[in-house]
Amino acid sequence: MSKSPQTAEPHAKRPAQVWPAEPRPWRAAWRDRVRTLRESYAFIARNWLSTLLVWLLIGIALALPAALYVIDANLARAARDWRGSVGFSAYFEPGIDSTVPAEFAEALAQEPGVVHVELVTPDEALAEFQGRAGIGEAVAALGRNPLPATIRATVSPGIGPERLRALAQGAAASQGVDEAVVETTWLERLAAIREVAARVVGIVAALLGLGAILICSASVRLAIESRLAEVTLLALVGADKRFIRRPFFYLGVIYGSGGALVAAMLLSGSLMWLEEPLARLFASYGEGLHLAGFDPTFLLALLLCGGVLGAIGAATASHQRLKSVAYA
Amino acid sequence: MPGIEFLSVGKRFDNGTEALADVSVSIAEGSMVFLTGHSGAGKSTFLRLLLRLETTTHGRILVNDVDIGRLAPRRLPCYRRHLGVVFQDHQLLGERTVFDNVALPLRVAGTRERETARRVRGALSSVGLLEKERMLPRTLSAGERQRVGIARAVVNRPKILLADEPTGNLDPGLSKTVMGLFRVFKGTGSTVIIASHDIALIQDMGERIVDLAAGRIAGDTGTNS
Repeated sequence: MSKSPQTAEPHAKRPAQVWPAEPRPWRAAWRDRVRTLRESYAFIARNWLSTLLVWLLIGIALALPAALYVIDANLARAARDWRGSVGFSAYFEPGIDSTVPAEFAEALAQEPGVVHVELVTPDEALAEFQGRAGIGEAVAALGRNPLPATIRATVSPGIGPERLRALAQGAAASQGVDEAVVETTWLERLAAIREVAARVVGIVAALLGLGAILICSASVRLAIESRLAEVTLLALVGADKRFIRRPFFYLGVIYGSGGALVAAMLLSGSLMWLEEPLARLFASYGEGLHLAGFDPTFLLALLLCGGVLGAIGAATASHQRLKSVAYA
Repeated sequence: MPGIEFLSVGKRFDNGTEALADVSVSIAEGSMVFLTGHSGAGKSTFLRLLLRLETTTHGRILVNDVDIGRLAPRRLPCYRRHLGVVFQDHQLLGERTVFDNVALPLRVAGTRERETARRVRGALSSVGLLEKERMLPRTLSAGERQRVGIARAVVNRPKILLADEPTGNLDPGLSKTVMGLFRVFKGTGSTVIIASHDIALIQDMGERIVDLAAGRIAGDTGTNS
């Protein structure tokens, strides 16, 4: 009955010949996925309270970077709108011949990057000044017009601060120009604020994204522990690792995208709460409230992001917990 | 001769326990063999090695001339789809119906739904539980649960059926019924290996008995086929 190990050598076969991997029809593969999805929803329905808590935790973790993103998007919009009217003003020496500013304005309008040039004559400036300041009588008492001719140049939003400064310096060096003033201070401040905001969004998103992955991973791990007997049984009846891990992968995606939905709801609620005071603030500047960033594309990206984070968490948990199950 | 061959197989666990020592045994295809012995004799280890839940410390196990110790992990599922396993504690999924429990190996293998339904009902019919296909396992008696376990093990028509103490929780009458089911399955040409310490019951079966003691073969009633 017994044989020595050597006797078996001549007729050793390759496993693939004896137990070939049978091709899986696409319908069966599709059916597997639908069934797994159904079972995942059934699992969630059975454990709805813990699922709600997981969604809330992930939602809070995702809401903060999402809110920062919306703030950044609105800063960007403000910067865009504001840069549309950026430029410089050139003030001419008082009493200069009126043809000099006109010729200069004509030449400046030809410069690349300059989109609009407005010449304000001393008379026009005086009329504007009197109208705005309401001190017409004091000016009239001077007996002469003290205001110089002025050119207001608006540049294209695409040009950088360096080009704007170069244009202003060129204007300042021109004949008859007393001073050229560049209006970039707020542009630069806003750009600096945006840069800081973008980096803060990056750091917060990375940290809280990691938090969301860990929450998903821990939750999926608990789900694996509660179904370990089933997992072992599946391995014993010939399920491959992909088949075994699929329900947990789906669970992670559901946790992640559900959390993202909660984050969107939190953000939407916060914006609704802030809408009235924000509208009043904007109205005081003569502007309407037009929030940027919180649109369908953003919501889709948020859901996708949550799903991907959930999938990463699930993949990590199932890789760690299932690698040794029934696969000696 | 294709079948199962244990060639000087030894298994020592990390804690130093020697579960099997230099076991060499050949089991012909289509035969029925009982493994017997006291607790700790190595019966379960024998079956776990065949399932590739464990690997040998030395020696080789050939199944259909393939050394299963060398099977790559990605080949294990294909190998296991050709095995059927019956456990002492049934290992049924409590939240699934009898039908879904029995259908599990077929769904894993990607069998068409219509064919799955046909084979599941065939298997349930063979163990006399067709009318209970929609019930949950907890509503069944111990004997019925064991029969569901057997139906699940045979539903994909495995080449080898392994059973670890399948009658351990059953009364004598039910035990005989369950053993009768295994014999019926042997009649389909599959190899059946049953670990059991119920000497009286297995002697009544008149099949080959391999007696294990302290991880070694203490007796063998001889080859059959």
